[in-house]
Amino acid sequence: MRTAIQFLRKHTLSAVAILFAAALALSFALPVQAHALDVERWTAKPNKDGDSTTVLGATATRVTWQGQSAEDESVAGVVIELPEGSTVEAENVKTTVLAGLDRLEAEAEATVDGSSVTVALSEPAPAGSLIMVECNRTLLPANGGTFGVAGSYTTADGQQHEMPATDQVITVSSTSPTEQASSWLGEQEWVKAWNSNKFLHLFFDPTLIVTSVPALFSGWLMSLGLVIISFPLAIPLGLIWSFLRMAKHRLPRALGATYINIVRGTPLFLQLYIAFFGLPLMGVQMDPFMMGAIVLIMNSSAYLAEIFRAGIQSINKGQSEAARSLGMSGMQTMFFVIIPQTVRRVIPTMTSEFILMYKDTSLLAAVGVMELMMYAKTITAATGNVTPYIVAAGFYLIVTIPMTKFINSMEARMAHGHRKHKKSDGGSAGTAEAAFEPGSDAAVARSIRMSETFAGPTEADAAAQIKKTAQRNGNHISH
Amino acid sequence: MSESNNEIVVRIEDLHKSFDDNEVLRGIDLAVRRGEVVVILGPSGSGKSTMLRCVNLLEKPTGGRIFFEDTEITAKKTDINVVRAKVGMVFQNFNLFPHLTAKKNVMLAQQKVLKRSREEAERVAVDQLTRVGLGDRIDYKPSELSGGQQQRVAIARALAMDPHVMLFDEATSALDPELVRDVLGVMKELAKGGMTMMVVTHEMGFARDVADRVIFMDGGVIVEEGTPEAVFDNPQSDRTKDFLGHIS
Repeated sequence: MRTAIQFLRKHTLSAVAILFAAALALSFALPVQAHALDVERWTAKPNKDGDSTTVLGATATRVTWQGQSAEDESVAGVVIELPEGSTVEAENVKTTVLAGLDRLEAEAEATVDGSSVTVALSEPAPAGSLIMVECNRTLLPANGGTFGVAGSYTTADGQQHEMPATDQVITVSSTSPTEQASSWLGEQEWVKAWNSNKFLHLFFDPTLIVTSVPALFSGWLMSLGLVIISFPLAIPLGLIWSFLRMAKHRLPRALGATYINIVRGTPLFLQLYIAFFGLPLMGVQMDPFMMGAIVLIMNSSAYLAEIFRAGIQSINKGQSEAARSLGMSGMQTMFFVIIPQTVRRVIPTMTSEFILMYKDTSLLAAVGVMELMMYAKTITAATGNVTPYIVAAGFYLIVTIPMTKFINSMEARMAHGHRKHKKSDGGSAGTAEAAFEPGSDAAVARSIRMSETFAGPTEADAAAQIKKTAQRNGNHISH
Repeated sequence: MSESNNEIVVRIEDLHKSFDDNEVLRGIDLAVRRGEVVVILGPSGSGKSTMLRCVNLLEKPTGGRIFFEDTEITAKKTDINVVRAKVGMVFQNFNLFPHLTAKKNVMLAQQKVLKRSREEAERVAVDQLTRVGLGDRIDYKPSELSGGQQQRVAIARALAMDPHVMLFDEATSALDPELVRDVLGVMKELAKGGMTMMVVTHEMGFARDVADRVIFMDGGVIVEEGTPEAVFDNPQSDRTKDFLGHIS
């Protein structure tokens, strides 16, 4: 095309044919004038931690525009229209001119008006040079979008031209308010000072805390949902196992004991693996949440069974004798006399079991259930920062600490109630000095809990004694 | 009291009971007639409580037969719950249901076993509690009652089932002396009212005043039996003499 222009300039013959040809050539040449500058680059630097492809809106990034001027065209200034709603400080706009192999320290004055960046070169860039404008710390629109290049440039002779089109676009992904808050925090001086400490940065990075909390929240709901659904279902199942375990006949008793011993004697982690990898091989396909809940229910029911058994057997044999002597059946005795009295004694231990189950939901991360740990793990893997795990710890603690307090206050209330009753009882009142008198609800509840927690000698002793009396009297529940 | 009625309510034939190798009952024969008050005396370990507990099968006899009215309760096909509903029992340790109020204690078995309506059970409960002198304690929990009051609730609970016989297993042994009187008073009233009673006790005064017949047990057998006067004032056996000598 350029040879055509030179041809026209050198041989200006007034021949109709040539004029015609010139007119024809001009029709080609005119757009060529606009190509005095080519946009070579229109990019924004990815700014999302752990993601090398995403440009987040409302988060500092570097937008780079690069133009190649034509061999015979000297450029004096560039106007770059950033996406509507973007902001950048004029002082953060840096202009570089590369002429051939030389890097010229371009004297340029940048002004920003809204989202429009104007760069005026004090010396027009030599023809054929490369002009690069970097807008550092640009905040692109928070709502995201896809943005092509727009603007104009001015040649040395003062002519203004539209910015030539390019197929390069900047794709901005939208940011949530927390991501914006996080990036805002990241700009704050105290946060920078805080994060300059390696430990504080790795474990308690404020910007990551801000983004982790909402990200982990759905995982927390999942964990909580798992335990809220599983635990109530584990209770009746646990009751059934405990009944089997205490049955008069050998077969159900062996069945209950076998189940309880196998489940309590193997890690929950292993049980999860068996279910999650074994059942699909058997052709059983199930939602991971469902499968996880079922494993938790089956696991917890074994522990609850032992809690219930300890609770039921802690009830004085005289209670069932009194009920049976009135003609009540074994079942009626169990449900109207024994279990109501057991409830008080096992609630602290059951609450412990609830806490255990809640914490155990974290194991489901290993088999792909999107619970709390899984989210924390994902963010940590992406950022190489431990802060999400610390946030996860917070999510566990906001449930477990109040429940632990509940256990303590419940035990204290039982002990207190017992003392009170002893005082008001004119008859068999003993000395009311000890908080936990032997045989009181509080003492028995605590011993059940301790034996469950530590499997100490208390349970073994009580169980042995109960077994002895049970054998002696043949007084099993299924009369 | 009423010797005119000869109907036998409880009949025990050659009752044996062993715990492992320990033979506690070695052949007991006993018949209790309707309206009769039988007081069973004897040193601890003589088997008197075990014998009583066999009557409603809280203990399973290892030998012999027990009849309640026309039913052999030791027979396999007998529905023991039906029999138990007609045999009231009062325990040494009261065994009230601690999670229920006095009234609910008395109502529970009426509703579950006799299938009485709530209203009827409640009416009976209030009647029986009033009868044992606790009309003003019906809504108290057992823990809020004294031992003597608890035992009277237990008696009311048994009476509410309209039992044909009442078994008292050392009903006053766990009570402080000043509370014993109230409970014995209730038992005396019952006896006067014609209730058939089998009473294991150490209360000699009660036995002398109330019993139609006194039985002295030792070593798992009945050593001596007769009217209170005969047993207390003119015991035939050395063991009875020895025992009564120690007591009084």
